Amino acid sequence: MDWDIIWLFVQQGVASGLVSGAVYALLALAIVIVYRTTDVANFAQGEIYMAASYLAFFLIVVFAAPSFVAIPVTILIVCGVSAAFQRLVLTRVAAARGVSVNLVIATLGLSYLLKGMVRFSGFGDAPRSFPSVVPDGTVMIGDASLSYLDVVIFAASLVVMAVFFWVFTYTKLGRAMRAVGMNRRAAALVGISLSRVQMQVWAFSGGISAIAALLIAPKLLLTVEMGHIATLAFAAAIVGGFTSLPGAVVGGFIIGIAENMVGLFASSRAIIVTPFVVIMLVLTLKPQGLFGGAIRVRKV
Amino acid sequence: MRKMSKMLGLLAGSALLGLSGVAMAAEPGLTDTTIKIGLFGPMSGPAQAYGQDVMNAAKMYYAKVNADGGINGRKIEIVEEDDRCSPNDLVAAVKKLVEQDQVFILNGGSCSAPVVAAKDYVVRSEVPWVMLNASGDGALYPPQPNIFGAMSISQRAVGGSTVEFAVKQFGAKKIGYINHDDAYGAWNLEAAGPQAKEHGATFLSESVDPKITDVTAPVLKMKAANVDVLILTTYAAPAQLILKKAAELHFNKPIIVAVNAIANLKQMVDNVGTKDAFKNVYIQELLMAKPGSEKLAWVYDMYKKAYPELSAQPGHPQVYMPYGIPPAEVVVKALQAAGRDVTRAKFIDAVEHLNFNSVMAGPIAFTHTEHAAQKSSIYFKFDGDDLTEVPGVFASHWTYKAN
Repeated sequence: MDWDIIWLFVQQGVASGLVSGAVYALLALAIVIVYRTTDVANFAQGEIYMAASYLAFFLIVVFAAPSFVAIPVTILIVCGVSAAFQRLVLTRVAAARGVSVNLVIATLGLSYLLKGMVRFSGFGDAPRSFPSVVPDGTVMIGDASLSYLDVVIFAASLVVMAVFFWVFTYTKLGRAMRAVGMNRRAAALVGISLSRVQMQVWAFSGGISAIAALLIAPKLLLTVEMGHIATLAFAAAIVGGFTSLPGAVVGGFIIGIAENMVGLFASSRAIIVTPFVVIMLVLTLKPQGLFGGAIRVRKV
Repeated sequence: MRKMSKMLGLLAGSALLGLSGVAMAAEPGLTDTTIKIGLFGPMSGPAQAYGQDVMNAAKMYYAKVNADGGINGRKIEIVEEDDRCSPNDLVAAVKKLVEQDQVFILNGGSCSAPVVAAKDYVVRSEVPWVMLNASGDGALYPPQPNIFGAMSISQRAVGGSTVEFAVKQFGAKKIGYINHDDAYGAWNLEAAGPQAKEHGATFLSESVDPKITDVTAPVLKMKAANVDVLILTTYAAPAQLILKKAAELHFNKPIIVAVNAIANLKQMVDNVGTKDAFKNVYIQELLMAKPGSEKLAWVYDMYKKAYPELSAQPGHPQVYMPYGIPPAEVVVKALQAAGRDVTRAKFIDAVEHLNFNSVMAGPIAFTHTEHAAQKSSIYFKFDGDDLTEVPGVFASHWTYKAN
């Protein structure tokens, strides 16, 4: 292979990997924030993302709603549904001596419910396109070619991540979420309402999933199975340490770039297994994940 | 002595009658006036578009045959089952048709994986099975005594035909090929590579997961390899992503899109999003002419007459509707050739001697060792709006060789 081609592959692989990695990172953030504050691995994350895409599609294509209406409405509805699921389902499952596995199964139930609803709508029978508000065209970054949409996806993802970290670090809501994530009992003792914060976290997580969906949907195609992308987000979260928010972001970018590099320098067949190979490598070399911190043994 | 020979004669006569009675009893689904055929396909569910109107086309053909007097004094009686293109549902449907409804032959299957799931049962049952429009390579190779199919095309023939077109139309010396990394993809790749080699062309393939979302790697590799032509034999969604990515990466060589990705051309254009991506795109067609054209008008007219309400609905007739005609023709022609004393064995023998032109690009031809009928395609240049036919018929050369 010529050096020119190797250099082209590296540039394009990194550029395209950062775009897809940004979306994985957003979904990984949504997974990690829920896990940190409620101890639930949300296996419906992909389907929440899928349902958000279809909801926006219905509003724009079927009900002819303008994008500036459809986008906020979609985000609000997904936030509301996610919060309602936490309040109406998960709290009851937890109250009924809910152990972790029951809560996870409840999220699996939600994933099947959402997929069933989209299939029942009749729009899930064939891949569909989501209208893009970004014009066609490409920009060259070095030798790498990215569409305008790619650039918007990447930039918007970074903005959403920045807002997310600002909320999480500097607002009262964010501090409450962090407190619940660190020590639930202590948070309750200082007057934080656990149930309210957990519901807010689910709403927040749903909102991020909806934004990820709205960003990537015009690039990909809408299908009932599009939620499988959450597998990559889980991989990103695991690589990052599963409880670390910066780790989720870095993990997303690592997975996105690794997929492209493996596809370009090894084989396209290997793209699908790349995230799992990365997980294995990270767990073998650094079992707590890249940002998971050292394993601490508490002496009692 | 004469009494004795009379007795022996009577005994021999009754034995013969008994034997013939056994012979008749061994052929379920056959009466003096009817032949029972088990017709199945996806009448509901997400894959309905692949088979609902294909079944309707077969039914209208059988209805026409019945209206014209039937076959050798018998009318065709249809028992329908919905397989939803699901392996479980298809196997259940086939078992019901064979064991409960006792059909004479099976005629069905629009999706490859489900028909492969039913293969072993059907082989054991020894009931002749003429597939509808499934590629069905897994059930057709190696050839099974009682299974016939690929009247539309097999996946091997998809691969061989697209390569033939690339070489003959574009003089391609370096062929890029993106397929799936599943059995479906392996089947079409198995014929494509050797056909390229036969023409002395270099063949580069990239196999991708059907759920792939980022197609940068396979497309960029094809561009970097400077292939003369790129063939896509993926399903619709990956093909659409690849067309979009090829435009983004300024890949400007001809792209041939195999039939696997073309259930709905308008949807394809909508999903790709830009007509710029269709500047140099060719699509494979299995019918003898453009769907809805004059040569095929009789099929569409027959459909409108048979299903006036359905044909008035949007989306009907479905794209694959005419594919239902050749399987029904195979059944009818083989039954006619097998004669009034038809048996399943005679029917199978008759199918193995069929060679006729139907509505497809190439002849419907079976032999004792080739149970996949159709191997040719025609091609259209597609600019996102209009289809322009490229002259010629392009056939796959791949043949099954037992190890």
